[in-house]
Amino acid sequence: MKAAIEVKEYPSEPLKCWEKAKNLRKDYYDDYLHAHEKGGLRWAGGAWSFSAIPAGLGEDVYCITGEPYGATVAFFKDFASKCHDATEAAGFPRTLCAYMRNYWGSILLDKYILTEGTVVDGYPAPDFIWQDHICCSHGKWYQLVKWLEKKRGKEVPMYSVDVSVGYPSDFSSEEDYKVSYIVEQLNDGINWLEKVTGRKYNDSLLCDAVWNEIKATSLWAEVCALNQAIPAPLDEKSMYSLYVMGTLMKHRPECVAFYETLRNEVKDRVERGVAAVSTERFRVITDTQPPWGFLKIFREMEKYGAVSVGSLYTFGLIGMWQYQPDGTWTPKLMPPRKPQTRDEALQAIVRWTMHKPEWAHFYEPELKTKMMESIVKQWKVNAVLLHYNRGCEGLSLHIAENRFGLIQAGIPVFPFEGNMGDERDFDLAGTMARLSAFFESMGLKKLRE
Amino acid sequence: MIEEVFGKFREWIDNRHEYAKAWKERTGNRVVGYFCTYVPEEILYAADILPVRILGSHEPPTVTEPYIFAMYCHFCRDCLAQGLKGKFDYLDGIVEGQSCLHLRQAFNAWRLHIPIDYTYYIYVPHGVQTIRATPYLTQELSKFKKSLEKWTGKTITNQDLDKGIQILNRNRELMRKVSEYRKTNPPKLTGLEAMEMVLSSQMVDKEEHSKLLEQLLEELPNRKLERRGDVRLMIIGSEDDDRVFMKNVEDLGATFVIDEHCTGTRYFWDNVKEGQEDRLAAIASRYVMRVPCPSKDWPELTRLKHAVHLAQEFNVKGALIIQNKFCDPHGIEIPPLRDALAAVGVQTYPLEFDVTVPWGQFRTRVEAFLEQLTGLEELF
Amino acid sequence: MAEMMTAGVDVGAKFAKVVILKDGQMLARAKALVGFDVLKSASDVFETAVKDAGLSRGDIQRVVATGMGRNAVLQKPPINADESVSEVVADAAGAYQVVPTVKTVIDVGAEEGRGIKVEGGKVRDFVINERCAAGAGTFVEAMARALEVKVEDMGPLSLKSANTIPMNAQCCVFAESEVVSLIHSKISKEDIAKAIHDAIAGRISSMVLRVGVEKDVVLIGGCALNPGFLAPLEKELHTSIIVPEFPEFVSALGAAVIAANPAR
Repeated sequence: MKAAIEVKEYPSEPLKCWEKAKNLRKDYYDDYLHAHEKGGLRWAGGAWSFSAIPAGLGEDVYCITGEPYGATVAFFKDFASKCHDATEAAGFPRTLCAYMRNYWGSILLDKYILTEGTVVDGYPAPDFIWQDHICCSHGKWYQLVKWLEKKRGKEVPMYSVDVSVGYPSDFSSEEDYKVSYIVEQLNDGINWLEKVTGRKYNDSLLCDAVWNEIKATSLWAEVCALNQAIPAPLDEKSMYSLYVMGTLMKHRPECVAFYETLRNEVKDRVERGVAAVSTERFRVITDTQPPWGFLKIFREMEKYGAVSVGSLYTFGLIGMWQYQPDGTWTPKLMPPRKPQTRDEALQAIVRWTMHKPEWAHFYEPELKTKMMESIVKQWKVNAVLLHYNRGCEGLSLHIAENRFGLIQAGIPVFPFEGNMGDERDFDLAGTMARLSAFFESMGLKKLRE
Repeated sequence: MIEEVFGKFREWIDNRHEYAKAWKERTGNRVVGYFCTYVPEEILYAADILPVRILGSHEPPTVTEPYIFAMYCHFCRDCLAQGLKGKFDYLDGIVEGQSCLHLRQAFNAWRLHIPIDYTYYIYVPHGVQTIRATPYLTQELSKFKKSLEKWTGKTITNQDLDKGIQILNRNRELMRKVSEYRKTNPPKLTGLEAMEMVLSSQMVDKEEHSKLLEQLLEELPNRKLERRGDVRLMIIGSEDDDRVFMKNVEDLGATFVIDEHCTGTRYFWDNVKEGQEDRLAAIASRYVMRVPCPSKDWPELTRLKHAVHLAQEFNVKGALIIQNKFCDPHGIEIPPLRDALAAVGVQTYPLEFDVTVPWGQFRTRVEAFLEQLTGLEELF
Repeated sequence: MAEMMTAGVDVGAKFAKVVILKDGQMLARAKALVGFDVLKSASDVFETAVKDAGLSRGDIQRVVATGMGRNAVLQKPPINADESVSEVVADAAGAYQVVPTVKTVIDVGAEEGRGIKVEGGKVRDFVINERCAAGAGTFVEAMARALEVKVEDMGPLSLKSANTIPMNAQCCVFAESEVVSLIHSKISKEDIAKAIHDAIAGRISSMVLRVGVEKDVVLIGGCALNPGFLAPLEKELHTSIIVPEFPEFVSALGAAVIAANPAR
């Protein structure tokens, strides 16, 4: 007979701001859908696009960012399956970025999915596309959105900003030309926005939006930093529902307000020793997006007392970070003052954004490995679970090198293949069997079924 | 004489490593490997360096899993495998011109795990349709030039750059002239011969290659190529150097009269504008304005328009679209490409390529496509 | 000191294997195909092994189960396995038992291939083939049918060829379609058999390289019995490989060893 495993149990309670997070996200999707009814504008682009810039067109400008939308589709597997069928029937290879296929599928089916899974007729076409390009698919995703909308009889103008200038560790004056390259494109973009919308651009709104984005992304990093506490006040699965605000509306004041509330609540949880997972005894981090249709994998892990305290993805997709002189990795310090002019705003947002942690590995895998090592050390992590994600070329880029680097640093790594957005490419049972073998090799047995 | 020229191209390809080693020995100069055609070879020639393109071997790359996730294309893994197996141990350096994500993994893995004296990554912009790209790339090339000067200990002058530009321009111009002979009916060279012409150019000293092209151009007007069947095909894809596939298809009664891929016309279609004071700006402009890799071709689909134009100019009946499995940028363009070609009466058939291809299954598909093009299926 | 009798039960995808251990020595072993009723198949094999050892169930003090079907026999009569461990842990323990200098274990069975780094019998790192794989034993069986050759003759047949035909080693479905093409191209059976073994060896070695290869390297599992598999694997990994006696029983042996050391 198996001996009962004695495990310390921490106090645990749900997040108070959980409902607020849900409603914020719901409203965002609804606002995009109903934007025209209020005389507003709709635009589409990626979660990494410079969303503060279109904010200068007015207070009634709403967007849908493609990656979170692709993830929402993936979460509802039945709808995702229909989207995949539609894109494959249209002749697209199934090995393409999964978010992109989910998004196109939605257009091809002419359906729009809301946050709780309701599918409504009529995919709301954007009035313009505002995107940036770093991975092979980013700009092209929306190029095809334009092509698909044209087939539906709608001309959608598109602008995309090239950000592929590398990952400078600091902006020495030698690299000012890289900042200028992007700032100039944004300036050209503002002229373009005025032309395609017929609206006069408002620099004051731009400055507000840029400052909101800087604040929001700094605040999110503070929230993540609090997870260094033992027990962790948040688990990664819950964090996905919280970081998503940064992927949708990082330039909006309500995002800043929400992250302030969240930061204060998480601080309080740390002070009171409140855990996300009461049986926490093994801390992991993951990497790349999770298989969205199978988030129960996190609950399965908890049966072993294992909790994911985050990842570079969750921390650094939206959060902004920096290295201190003593080598610790901390939330990035905000600039001393809010920009006052268009040029100051564009310079500020470009210089701020170029240090996005998730952009480092597009150029040098060792930069990301170093950040992951810092997370392992500072967040007191026992092992790293690497999702070799077939659905995303960009975030799986160099993942084998990261694995290699972490193993060389003596950190246990569990890699598993899957797909963030295509449910056909993830084997839950097989992965759990492998994961349980991994936990076993680390000396962990299941606490409960 | 013509057969000797094509024979020489083949010999260069089949013995590329021996050629490069002998070149090093003979000249005492350096050889640098590059992964993508966005590397400005003009600057390497200006520095008396021989640039050679790193290509795969079409054998399963079984040594790359620790370094590259297998869901990245076979080409990038095959390239890295050649390095890991020591096939390119004579290289003095590697250079990458920023393009797709897949290939940069081969570059970085090489940089991290294979001993090599010099490595350099040029941040070639993706935003080639913005006016900001050329001045930006000019700055990047200036940094690259300084880096080469530091490595070689030799200043690269404007004269040197002119030399590099002229060598590349001449070679490209000659290959374009040869391509004109593919417009005739029947064409004066096969698709395989054209591919071998381009591949060998990417592996040898272009001055030697240009001499052979000049000889070829003297003889081509008189050449009568016997072809079995007269179906005029186009091949469109990304990196494609599967010579066996080309031969197999052309043995079925078709000829590839033109191509659009980066071991084909995309490599040599555009020249550097000579006579400009700022040579680096002129070179930058060429690489920004050239027929783009799809990873850089946005927001407009300009490469597509170019492919359609080629199909019309070369009087193509059908096009095989070669999709390297896992290649996102090219894969994304397949539906609009097929639509655009269909709109001008060119039928298409897509084939998914991997490191090896199942010729049995492909033969069935290609034969059926050819029958469709020649109207044979209407007999039944 | 009282004799310690333990049993290890490896319920694999195709075969169930049982090892009876007495104070670290193998007393008996048995193996049979696993049918639809996994518990019954495993139980029959278990009873055969116990009988061959001249014992009764009551003489076995602890039983540990491993393999894909291990939960079917956990605390279920007549086996009543006390504990189950993953194949990875069992492989490491079993390989260490037979080759104490082992640092790398490669286990290739009917469906799965595994590479395991081992230190003192404990798992340091491991890799298991993902779903896309030129498979393992089952692939050889399917190709034997296509070539109209007995499966046990595939290995010796492959050794008669000196030619190398590259074959897609990413996916067994792709590889299978290429085999069909080769048959239609009138390539000899020897050459095709070698291509198949090279493809599997390529795929397995590619996977094992992820955890790195350190001597001594031990090959276990059903495919280790195939003489055509060892040579290309040694060639791909640039190292000699030890194949212990009864390689298909090493995982079950490992489970039996673990059973004898409940404190580990």
